[in-house]
Amino acid sequence: MNFFSLIRIEAKKLRRSKILWILAAAAFLLWLPSVLNSHLNFEMQAEGISPEHNFLIQGLLGMSWFLFPAGMVVSTVLLNLTEETNHGILKMLALPVRPARLCLAKFVILAVLAAIQILISVGMYFAGGAIASYTQDYPLLLPPLFVLREAGLIYLAAIPMLSIFWLLSVCIRTPIFSIGVGLASIVPSVLIINTKAWFVYPCSYPLFVITAEYGKLAANLNTAPVELVPWLPAAAGITLLCLFISCLCFGRGR
Amino acid sequence: MSFYLECKKMKRTGLVPAFFCGGLLAAAVPVLNMAFRSEMYLGLDAPPIQILMEANWQMMSMLNILLVTAGACLMYHTEYADNAIQRICTLPAKESRLFLGKSAFLFLMCAVILAVEAAGMAFCIFHWFGHFGGLWSVFKSFGYAFLLMLPAVFGSLWIASACRNLWVSLGISVVCIFTATLLPVKNFALSLFFFAMPFQILADTPPQAARRFMIAAVAELLVIAAGELIFLKLRRSFT
Repeated sequence: MNFFSLIRIEAKKLRRSKILWILAAAAFLLWLPSVLNSHLNFEMQAEGISPEHNFLIQGLLGMSWFLFPAGMVVSTVLLNLTEETNHGILKMLALPVRPARLCLAKFVILAVLAAIQILISVGMYFAGGAIASYTQDYPLLLPPLFVLREAGLIYLAAIPMLSIFWLLSVCIRTPIFSIGVGLASIVPSVLIINTKAWFVYPCSYPLFVITAEYGKLAANLNTAPVELVPWLPAAAGITLLCLFISCLCFGRGR
Repeated sequence: MSFYLECKKMKRTGLVPAFFCGGLLAAAVPVLNMAFRSEMYLGLDAPPIQILMEANWQMMSMLNILLVTAGACLMYHTEYADNAIQRICTLPAKESRLFLGKSAFLFLMCAVILAVEAAGMAFCIFHWFGHFGGLWSVFKSFGYAFLLMLPAVFGSLWIASACRNLWVSLGISVVCIFTATLLPVKNFALSLFFFAMPFQILADTPPQAARRFMIAAVAELLVIAAGELIFLKLRRSFT
């Protein structure tokens, strides 16, 4: 069985999980307040950001701060528990497939779910932006390429965070601790992005990246720029280490 | 009886140590904040409890709600996981007792985490503000926080009891919590959403508004409990 068919099988298992509905509801609720309060985008002279950029960035900040990481914690719960009923995972582990490959296939599915959540949010942005443009009589929508670039940045920055959440859910067998630690790790990212050691805390990467973009777009706002040199090696190292440990631990103790 | 059974069920789920650790983590927030940035707060002209709550409560209450939600979802997950709920339903006992037993257990856990946090807050007041008369204000603030947290416990348990899969209940609760963070704290009507209530602070609320919040919390408890009882009855008659 090659790796791609493993991924296809894992994707099939999620068909009736209703996760897409939850992700869509989350994206809808993300943009709803932005559309309702769209007049506030015209009061940002102090920051020096244009209304259309502010509309996008405020939504993305809300997403990368809490909604996106929390959605990913829920997705790890889904990937882990969907096979718990009737001991489905034991049957999978009994197949002549290396557990590490199974683990990696599930991680790929987690990354795909992350991409889907971001794409749904981008889709909702265009729908919400069109409504807000109509109500405010001002073009609040930005070019699709620019929006996709920002969304892509969040996605790339989120991969180390995903590997941390995946490690937590694989290695901590008690669900309350894996969920609790995952959710609790989201909360301090607001504080950590203001410190110099932000690059050692992967859960803060998406928020840091989007805050840096906010600083670039707002003329009167000074935010820390993204410095690739300590960040990229640290992010790559953390991701590989987390994936390596989770592959080692996957299926152990069963 | 039901409460005792719930305590027994939770023995090996790690819920009690998880709540205790969560409480310690939330209690560490004001202590660390004062340890690193005390100069920002010491010069302010307000009662110490108000300064500390305004600086830290947003993050502490967020941790509390996340913990309560995860706990509620997990408590029902233990019932649904291997169809244990079907065995419970065949017993000569009402299903609503399960809900009330679980609520009582979570209320107790909330009291524990808030007590740990109150101890952290009292330590900050004694250590950094040198204020020895602040204990009563800490007690009042956390009593208020406890009352306002109870509707969130009931609400998250309702969501957890309605969904068979852990990820669905957790997903819905997480989306609700995110919505609560978007609601303005100063707006009374919007703050009545049960996940938004725990973000309220007694120290910066006028006494009359605080009284209204407390009445609203009790009313919400009654409404959610009644809603849950009706929901369970309906579900039982259709499944």
